[in-house]
Amino acid sequence: MLRTIINKEILENITSPKFVFTFLLCTILILLAVYAGVGNYRSELKEYHSALALNEKNLESQTSWGLIAGMGMKITKPPQVLGCMISGIQDAVGRNATVNIAFDPSLVDSRYDSNPVFAIFGPLDLALIVKIVLSLFAILFTYDAIVGEKERGTLKLSLANRVPRDQVILGKAIGSFVSLLVPLVIPFLIGLIMLNLFPDVHLSGDDWARIGLIFLFFLLYLFVFFTLGLFVSARTNRSSSSLFILLFVWVVFIFVVPKGAVVLSKYMRPVPSVHEINSEKDAYLQQIQNEAIEGRRTFFQENPQEDTPEWRQKAQEWGAAFQQELTAKIDAKNAELEEAYQAKRRAQQLLALNLSRISPSSALTFGTQSLSKTGIQEHERFLNAIKSYKPIFTKFINGKLTENIGTGGQPPKPDLDELPRMDFKPMSLNDSFMLALPDLVVMALMIIVLFAGTFVSFLRYDIR
Amino acid sequence: MLEAKDLTKRYEDGLLALDHVNFEVREGEIYCMLGANGAGKTTTINLFFNFIDPTEGQALVNGIDASKDPLEAKGNIAFVSENVMLYHNFTARQNIDYFAKLGGKTDLQKDDYYAVMRKVGLQDKAFEAKLKTFSKGMRQKLGIAIAIIKDAPNIILDEPTSGLDPKAAAEFMDILTELKKQGKAILMSTHDIFRAKTIADRVAIMKEGRIVMERTREEFLKDDLEKIYLNYMQGIAA
Ligand SMILES: Nc1ncnc2c1ncn2[C@@H]1O[C@H](COP(=O)(O)OP(=O)(O)OP(=O)(O)O)[C@@H](O)[C@H]1O
Ligand SMILES: [Mg+2]
Repeated sequence: MLRTIINKEILENITSPKFVFTFLLCTILILLAVYAGVGNYRSELKEYHSALALNEKNLESQTSWGLIAGMGMKITKPPQVLGCMISGIQDAVGRNATVNIAFDPSLVDSRYDSNPVFAIFGPLDLALIVKIVLSLFAILFTYDAIVGEKERGTLKLSLANRVPRDQVILGKAIGSFVSLLVPLVIPFLIGLIMLNLFPDVHLSGDDWARIGLIFLFFLLYLFVFFTLGLFVSARTNRSSSSLFILLFVWVVFIFVVPKGAVVLSKYMRPVPSVHEINSEKDAYLQQIQNEAIEGRRTFFQENPQEDTPEWRQKAQEWGAAFQQELTAKIDAKNAELEEAYQAKRRAQQLLALNLSRISPSSALTFGTQSLSKTGIQEHERFLNAIKSYKPIFTKFINGKLTENIGTGGQPPKPDLDELPRMDFKPMSLNDSFMLALPDLVVMALMIIVLFAGTFVSFLRYDIR
Repeated sequence: MLEAKDLTKRYEDGLLALDHVNFEVREGEIYCMLGANGAGKTTTINLFFNFIDPTEGQALVNGIDASKDPLEAKGNIAFVSENVMLYHNFTARQNIDYFAKLGGKTDLQKDDYYAVMRKVGLQDKAFEAKLKTFSKGMRQKLGIAIAIIKDAPNIILDEPTSGLDPKAAAEFMDILTELKKQGKAILMSTHDIFRAKTIADRVAIMKEGRIVMERTREEFLKDDLEKIYLNYMQGIAA
């Protein structure tokens, strides 16, 4: 019986004009997205390699460590091969950093900076297609799955037989999900084959595992909208109201929640502005200045001025120590303020991310970005690697510079093999998966809840 | 055999749609239910399929209480509902195939389907045509074919002739008579007094949830059924 219902559901779906339309559109969009992604990746890769080569050439042409210290190390972030599918935040964040002995390094020069045209439309990647277009298809497939059969009288006619309702709903769910899979799986497979055919795209076993997990995310995401469609369809009496409600929820999930979470987190966990931080710093400086005046007065009271070398010596020593003490205090306070600021900013960011997770579209975004290493975490890991490289570089260069002091004459030509390089290990598959796990769980829970809701609703559905 | 015993239905909004209705439809009998719009005919039928639960009383199908064992009861009734749309992307054959399987007929062939469709007056070229190209009457015919193919001991029809042209309606009457001869118990709600008169073994008039009149064939043939009906509608007992 279940088999009959599943078969009928599949047949009904794949013979419908909307299926043909969906299938064609999905194929075109998915292939287009992969093609564009690969094109993007290849040009990124080319830029990356030429940046590396240029940096190496520059280093080689320097005649002393002093010159290298002045020039600094140029670091370029390697593009991610899975960025072909999930472009993540890659285009928006900086790709280049200079590590020298003076400044704190930061990544600058994003793709959007260098070519703002990209920013106009944003990336058309696979994640976006799945997030917006395929979720819409999932809704269009299911909005009338139950209520539509009621309107056409077929539900009544089906249930006039010896058919338990749970089989009807199970059969419908399985059958229509299978038929929804076809327009996703087939173009996705073609896209993967296409991806493999490009010469510069090398996918490791690790990458394939990631692709598999990303596909799992796509499936779960579509299943969320699919069960949502079934659920609303089992709770409405007209297909037009079902469609209306679903489109509303779709807009809320995809556009309102992610943006709203950011806005809401700003209210719930406010982060002081730069001005506020600066005025706090100024106030502390003022306090320290007062302390300085006070301290000096006490010193002169306790040690009345004498015109002796001993006194002068003592005053000088005291002055230097006092100055150092005050500077240390200011530094400590500034560091404390900075730390507090960063902590607040992180808390706000975390809140925004967690709030937005109630939308499956955010869960999809975070999960797939974690898996493709194109998200915020990987970016911050890279930035941290640069930051921890800085002291290594500084120590090495300073060592080289002091070696030369006193030797006089021409400094020796630097041997680049001695130069320590930045060591960055991309996030392991295991870590990426753990990072993506909460999003996976969120979606799985949504599916379970929605499906249970559909099931119960259908058992009590008024089929007349 | 179909039996209503003190069948009563009060809807959630408080409306008393059926008020202690009693009747029985025996094997080899056609029982016609007449009544104005909103009289309670469809409500009665829905109770036999347990689409709704009775407030009181029982709807029995071969002695099985439809609200206690709905699956068993439904296995014993074939159903023709008022203007069912069916699956419009399926062909007539695909539609009948699906419902036949739901009805427990899993071993039928294309030719069996064709035979039934021919019997209800569908043209051969319609067999493999998509339902969306069908007229209302053609859909109704297919609905009847679906009921016939289930081959259940009881048949319930809700205004089955509403979309049929006069010729098709006449053919349909012949089919019903044949089914009756096979020993089926047939319950039909209709507004068509003329048809009721030609084929019914018994006729009931329902009004505001109650059966206000029931007559056997001999009884109603003596009088003018149409006149009786109108009198009842105006509240004058004949
Ligand atoms: N779900 C419902 N909730 C409340 N009242 C209902 C519901 N369904 C039907 N009714 C009411 O019950 C009464 C009987 O309706 P029913 O559909 O059984 O009439 P009917 O005899 O089949 O009429 P028709 O000839 O128009 O098909 C009507 O007054 C109708 O308004
Ligand atoms: Mg009715």
